[in-house]
Amino acid sequence: MKKSSFICLLTIFGSLLLVTGCGKPDAPPAASGSGSPTTVQTIGVSFETLQTEFWVAALKAFETELARRHIRMLQAVADGDANRQIEQVRNFITRKVDGIIMVPKDARACIPVIKAANAANIPIVLFNRPPAESDAKSVAVVADNFTLARDTVAFLVAEARKAGGKYKALHLIGDLGDINAIGRRDGFDAAVSNATDVIEVVARVPTEWNNEKAYAGVVNALQKHPDIRLIFTPSDLHLPSIASALRNAGKWHKRGEPGHVLLAGFDGDATAYQMLVDGYLDATGVQDVYFEVEASIQAVLDARAGKPVPPTILDPGFVIHAGNLEEKAARMWGAKKK
Amino acid sequence: MSPEQQRLVMRALDAAPLVLFALVLAGFGALSPSFLAPANLVNVLVQSSAIAIVATGMTFVLLTAGVDLSVGSIMFVAAAVSGKLLLAQGWPPSLVVAGIIALGGLCGLLNGLLIARLGLIAFIATLGTQYVGRGFGMWLTETRAMNLPEAFTQLASNRLLGVPLPVIVAALVVAAAHAFLMRTPRGRQIYAVGQDAAAARKAGVNVRGVLWTVYVLCGLCAGLGGAVALAQIGSVAPTFGANKEFAAIAAAVLGGTSLFGGRGRVWPGTVFGAVLIQGIENGLNHLNADPYLYPLITAGIIFVAVLLDSARGRLRRTLGRRRIRPD
Repeated sequence: MKKSSFICLLTIFGSLLLVTGCGKPDAPPAASGSGSPTTVQTIGVSFETLQTEFWVAALKAFETELARRHIRMLQAVADGDANRQIEQVRNFITRKVDGIIMVPKDARACIPVIKAANAANIPIVLFNRPPAESDAKSVAVVADNFTLARDTVAFLVAEARKAGGKYKALHLIGDLGDINAIGRRDGFDAAVSNATDVIEVVARVPTEWNNEKAYAGVVNALQKHPDIRLIFTPSDLHLPSIASALRNAGKWHKRGEPGHVLLAGFDGDATAYQMLVDGYLDATGVQDVYFEVEASIQAVLDARAGKPVPPTILDPGFVIHAGNLEEKAARMWGAKKK
Repeated sequence: MSPEQQRLVMRALDAAPLVLFALVLAGFGALSPSFLAPANLVNVLVQSSAIAIVATGMTFVLLTAGVDLSVGSIMFVAAAVSGKLLLAQGWPPSLVVAGIIALGGLCGLLNGLLIARLGLIAFIATLGTQYVGRGFGMWLTETRAMNLPEAFTQLASNRLLGVPLPVIVAALVVAAAHAFLMRTPRGRQIYAVGQDAAAARKAGVNVRGVLWTVYVLCGLCAGLGGAVALAQIGSVAPTFGANKEFAAIAAAVLGGTSLFGGRGRVWPGTVFGAVLIQGIENGLNHLNADPYLYPLITAGIIFVAVLLDSARGRLRRTLGRRRIRPD
């Protein structure tokens, strides 16, 4: 093999290693025993992916909060590969970290590593996604997807009632294999089941968290039902696609303008914040990233100190809309990114 | 079965993708008459245009018995770069589109280097570039959505003589690809390499040159397909282009392109495959089908198409066998 070809190969595989998420120590190590307020010195944080703004915001919040508490953070990103994530978490265990926080790729595949952490007496917290039922012991810090989606949609229903008339609704559904998407779907269904006098759901579109599918779904639904006047998306990720489809259909109007389509999302990202400010979005259910991050770290500290920790800690989140935007924006992670 | 009967069955199987396509359209039309409304059929064509372009590039690669798993990542990288150029640098949309296509070609060159020059297996090489591409795009966007200006998204809603621009672009790409494959020596060499690379080499075909050609063309198509999809969606999200390689392969295979190389056509095969995939999704939307049925129905139709393709292959081998003694 020629030298140039060898260098080329080396560069490509070097890049591969970089992007496929080898674990790397990120935060500076805490001075061991140098006045640290806790005996926990190192926590391993494993993310399934960084493919959404929510995960990136959460990772940054972990970095900030752990640095504030003088705890060293080992981080790993599995790029959507459940097996790779298992190996990365096993590495944490081998390195004898004081606690593990993970966003599992798969609710079942993570059970063996939870058991391995249990055997090594290392507290393990699952961030934002609960594990499947098993005898493995862990703490799950999760958004109350059902309640938050229900309350967000209930806000839209109330707006529809105020405006009067019957509203045809389009319901986007995320990845049917994601328990969070299912919770949000059930929350939507619960809210509209009590409002059949105002809301008629005429279209349900599974998006698999894919913007192209979301766009096509909204365009198709509007083609079939040009009189759709209410849309709920289970993730703010899809808001630009919805905006594009509504714009093409001549239905992109601000609140209060004739022809405005009631629109609500979930997550609380930067696009949602901007759309709320601009008047195109009516509401979004905000997952309180900062609450979830603080609760996860506290759960590790408490478990390490032998204090009782409930198996599930719920993030109640909050619904943000034009009426409470100023008051709530400080806790909206998308607003803080600005 | 007599040779005449075998030829009839062969013709029927050759027409199977088109028959399947017609059956699916008729089925959805019967269940939801609005599905066959002209406006919706145009809608299906517009939505199919991006995947038809990407699948056209994929057909070139599949014809050589290769595969390109990096097309989705190429779309994402091109989209991320174009987002930066539009928003941060203020480039005009037409220049950005040209940049996207060129970037796609460069990515194709990289694949060509790995496969044709360094002799890596296409599956492994393009899997590697898939990871590199997505990682690079994520690094570039910092996992943040970029909402593109209306000057760019306007491209998707423009019409020429009443025909949506994405459809025109897709039609031009398909026509050029079809002419290239059917009318040029390099096109025929692509088929020859896919049938038997060693025999093609012995016959004087520059196999490396053919491989360079198909991967660069595939990259160009991925870049252009990405531009068309991006103009429709209006934003660069971290999931942009994800799994598009599978949609492109499915479209080509549904249209009768063999995964083992040497057999398939862009027109009508791949185009019908792409429209069929989008048509199924559109039809299910129109029926307001249970979301759990989407993968089952889509997979069922693809499965039937692949079964028909397999039966066709078996029959072709039977017909091609030398008959040493009469039955």
